[in-house]
Amino acid sequence: MSTATSSIGTGPGAWLGYVGSNAAALPGRYATALRRRPGRTIGLTLVVLAVAVYPVLGHYVLADFSRTVFPLPFPDDTVATFMTIFAIMAIGLNIVAGFAGLLDLGYVAFYAIGAYCAAFLASPHFGALGINLTFMGHVGPGAAGIHLPYWLIAIIAVIVVATFGALLGAPTLRLRGDYLAIVTLGFGEIVPLYFKNLSSVTFSLNLGPINIALQNVNWTGGVQGINPIDPPFLPFFGLVFDARSGPLAVYLGLFLLMIAIVVALNLEHSRIGRAWGAIREDETAAEMMGVNTVRTKLLAFALGASFAGVAGSFQASYLGASTSDFFDFSISILVLIMVILGGIGNVWGAVLGAFALTYVDKTLLPYIGQRIGDVAPTLPNPAEYNFLIFGIILVVMMRFRPQGFLPSRQREAELSVAGLAEAEAGLGLPAALENVEIAPPGQDEVSADARTPETPGEAREL
Amino acid sequence: MTAEAGTAPSTPTGSLLTGSIPDPDVLVRARGITKRFGGLTAVNDVDFDIPRGSIVSLIGPNGAGKTTFFNMITGYYVPTDGEISFDGAAIVTRRGKRIRSKKPHEVTQLGIGRTFQNIRLFGTMSALDNVRVGSHVHLRSRWWDSIIRTPRMLNEEAASIEASMELLRLVDLEDRAETWARNLPYGDQRRLEIARALATRPKLLLLDEPTAGMNISETRQLTDFIRRLRAEHGLTILLIEHDMRVVMGISDRVTVLDYGEVIAEGAPDEVRANPRVIEAYLGRGPATAS
Repeated sequence: MSTATSSIGTGPGAWLGYVGSNAAALPGRYATALRRRPGRTIGLTLVVLAVAVYPVLGHYVLADFSRTVFPLPFPDDTVATFMTIFAIMAIGLNIVAGFAGLLDLGYVAFYAIGAYCAAFLASPHFGALGINLTFMGHVGPGAAGIHLPYWLIAIIAVIVVATFGALLGAPTLRLRGDYLAIVTLGFGEIVPLYFKNLSSVTFSLNLGPINIALQNVNWTGGVQGINPIDPPFLPFFGLVFDARSGPLAVYLGLFLLMIAIVVALNLEHSRIGRAWGAIREDETAAEMMGVNTVRTKLLAFALGASFAGVAGSFQASYLGASTSDFFDFSISILVLIMVILGGIGNVWGAVLGAFALTYVDKTLLPYIGQRIGDVAPTLPNPAEYNFLIFGIILVVMMRFRPQGFLPSRQREAELSVAGLAEAEAGLGLPAALENVEIAPPGQDEVSADARTPETPGEAREL
Repeated sequence: MTAEAGTAPSTPTGSLLTGSIPDPDVLVRARGITKRFGGLTAVNDVDFDIPRGSIVSLIGPNGAGKTTFFNMITGYYVPTDGEISFDGAAIVTRRGKRIRSKKPHEVTQLGIGRTFQNIRLFGTMSALDNVRVGSHVHLRSRWWDSIIRTPRMLNEEAASIEASMELLRLVDLEDRAETWARNLPYGDQRRLEIARALATRPKLLLLDEPTAGMNISETRQLTDFIRRLRAEHGLTILLIEHDMRVVMGISDRVTVLDYGEVIAEGAPDEVRANPRVIEAYLGRGPATAS
C-alpha cells in the first residue's frame, strides 16, 4: 500500500493514477493473497463470481438445474433482491459493531426511517393533505401526493437516516458497552411504534404568528402502512425496478451493494477507520492519542445508519409498500446474527452472512416446510420456527467457529486457538525466560517473550 | 522553577492564565493542583513547573499520586482544584469554584504526548497503524475524503506512512512495521508506545515508567534514547520512574511526591541527600520507630 500511494502527485489526474496503479497491481496482489490464504481467497472468488453471474444464470439455467438435479432450491428474484438489501444493512451494522465495536440493537429503526422516507416522498399518501409535488417522478404530472425519483430519495434517505443516527448517538454514545445496547434497543422499539401509531395526529400550536392546527391527520398510514410507492425508474431506458421486474431489481440491488462495499472498505482503510479500530481496541488510549472519541463514535453511528437508509428506501420502493409490521425488532437481531455469522469486522463476511441467512430464511426453510408438508402435513413447518433455527445455527457457530465464516484478522486472533495459547503464554511463562525471544520475527508467530505486559482480562488502570 | 514543597498557597486572583504572556522558559505551569477521589486526597495542592527543554522526573513511593498528576496534565482527570497552563494555553482553568479541563484529545492537540504505565497499544493493529493513529490529530482528511479517496486524502495518507515509518526507524522498529503490536516483544512494545506518542508531534513527552521491566542494557539504551530526543528533537520530557539510576542519571530536576504532596524538589544530588526523601522511601530511623 505504501509503495502504491507514495508516488502520487497532486492534481486531478492523481485519483485516476491511484486507481490505475491499484488496478495494475491487482493480479500480483491477488497472487500474494492466494499464496497466503488459498482456501479463503478461492472461496471469496467463488462468491464474487456467483454474485456477478447469478441474475442471468440463475434465471435461465440454474433454476431448472436446481429443480431437477440440485437438491436445494434456488433463490428466486425476490429473495435475491432481499439478499442484497440485507447485505447492505449488514455492512452498515458491521461499521458500527465491527469497526467501532459499538453494540447497536436498534438498527431496524434506521431501516424503518429509510423505508418511510421513500413512502412519504414517492406515493399518493400526502395527496389527502393537499400536498402535491411531482418532480421527474414515475407518474405523470399532476398526480396527487409527492413523487420524487428513487435516486433522489435514496440520497435524501441517507441524509435523513444519518441525521437520526447522529441524534440517537449524541446523548447515548457517552455510554459504553451494555448500556449503549439497552438504549439502542429502546430506540429500535420506539421508532416502528411511532410509524404504527401516527395514523391520526391531532395537534395544535398557537404561537402568535405561527398557527398550526392538525386534525386527525393520517401521517404514517398506521397499521395499513403506505402504498403504492413508486418503484425505482430509469427514464431514458424505460426500466422499472419493481417486484415484477425479475432480475432487473436484483441488478439494482447488486449495484447498491457494490457501492456499499466500496464505501465501507474505503472507510475501513482510512484515518477514520484507524480511529475506529483504536477505539475498539482501547478507548482511553485512543483518546489520549488525540482521537476525539465522542465525535468518532458518532460518525460510526451516523455512517452505519445511512446504509440502512439506502436499504430501507430500496426495499419500500421495490415492494411498492411500507408497513410498520415489517420493521420488527427481530430484524435488528437478524442483521446482527448475519454480521456475527459472517465474521464481525469483515465487510465480505457481513455480505456472506446476509446472503446465507436470507437464503435460509426465505428460500430454504419454506422449501423444507413444503417438502415436509407433502409427506406429513401435521408436522410443524420449519419456516414458522425460523428464529429457533437461527438460534441453533448461532449456538453451533459459537461452539465450532466463533470467529464467523470470513473472520477479520482481528477477531480471528482474538477467538482462535492460537490466541488462547498466546494468552496462556502471557499468564504462565516463568520470569526466568526474560529476554529470550523464541519466535522469529513475523506476523503469525506468537511472541514468546515472558514479560507480556498484561494478561487478558486483568483490570487495567492508567 | 520554584515549586516549594506545596507550601505556597496558590492565589485565585492574579491568575497566570488570563492574558498573560507565555513565559518563554516554562512549558508547564501547575498551581495548587488537588485531586480527591471521595475521601482520598491523591494529590494535594501541588505546584509544579517544567522548564522548557528540560528532563524532569517525578518520583515517589507507590501511591504517591504521580500517575494521577500525569492524568491531570493530559486532561484525563479533572482536578478538584488548581490551574495548569501549557505553553501559554490553559489546560485547567478555575472560574470561581468551577474547574474546567480540556479533553484529552484537545490536550494532545496542544502538544502533549504520553505513554502508559501498563502498555496500552492497539493490540491487533500493526505497529505502523499504531503510529498512524498517533498522527491522527495532524491529518486533515475527513470521512468524505476517505469514501471517495480524494487526492488530498491519498497524498496525506502517503505522507503519514512516510512519517510514521520514519518514527519506527527512530525507535528501531522499521522491520516490524507490519507486525501486530501485541505480537511484539515487551521492549519493542515500550519503544512502539514512545513512537506512537511522538507521532502526535508533542512539545512535552510524558513517560510513565518507561524502563519498567527492562534489564540493565535495555534501560541504558532507553536512557540514551531519551537524551537524544531532547537533544535532536528539542522535546521537554517529564518522567515517572522508579529506577533511581535512570532518574539520577538523566534528570535536570527531580520532584518527589509522597502522599500527594511535594516533599522535595531540586537537582538530583540535592534530592538524593534530602532527609525527607530518604524517610519517604526507607521509613523513619530506628529511634522514632521504637
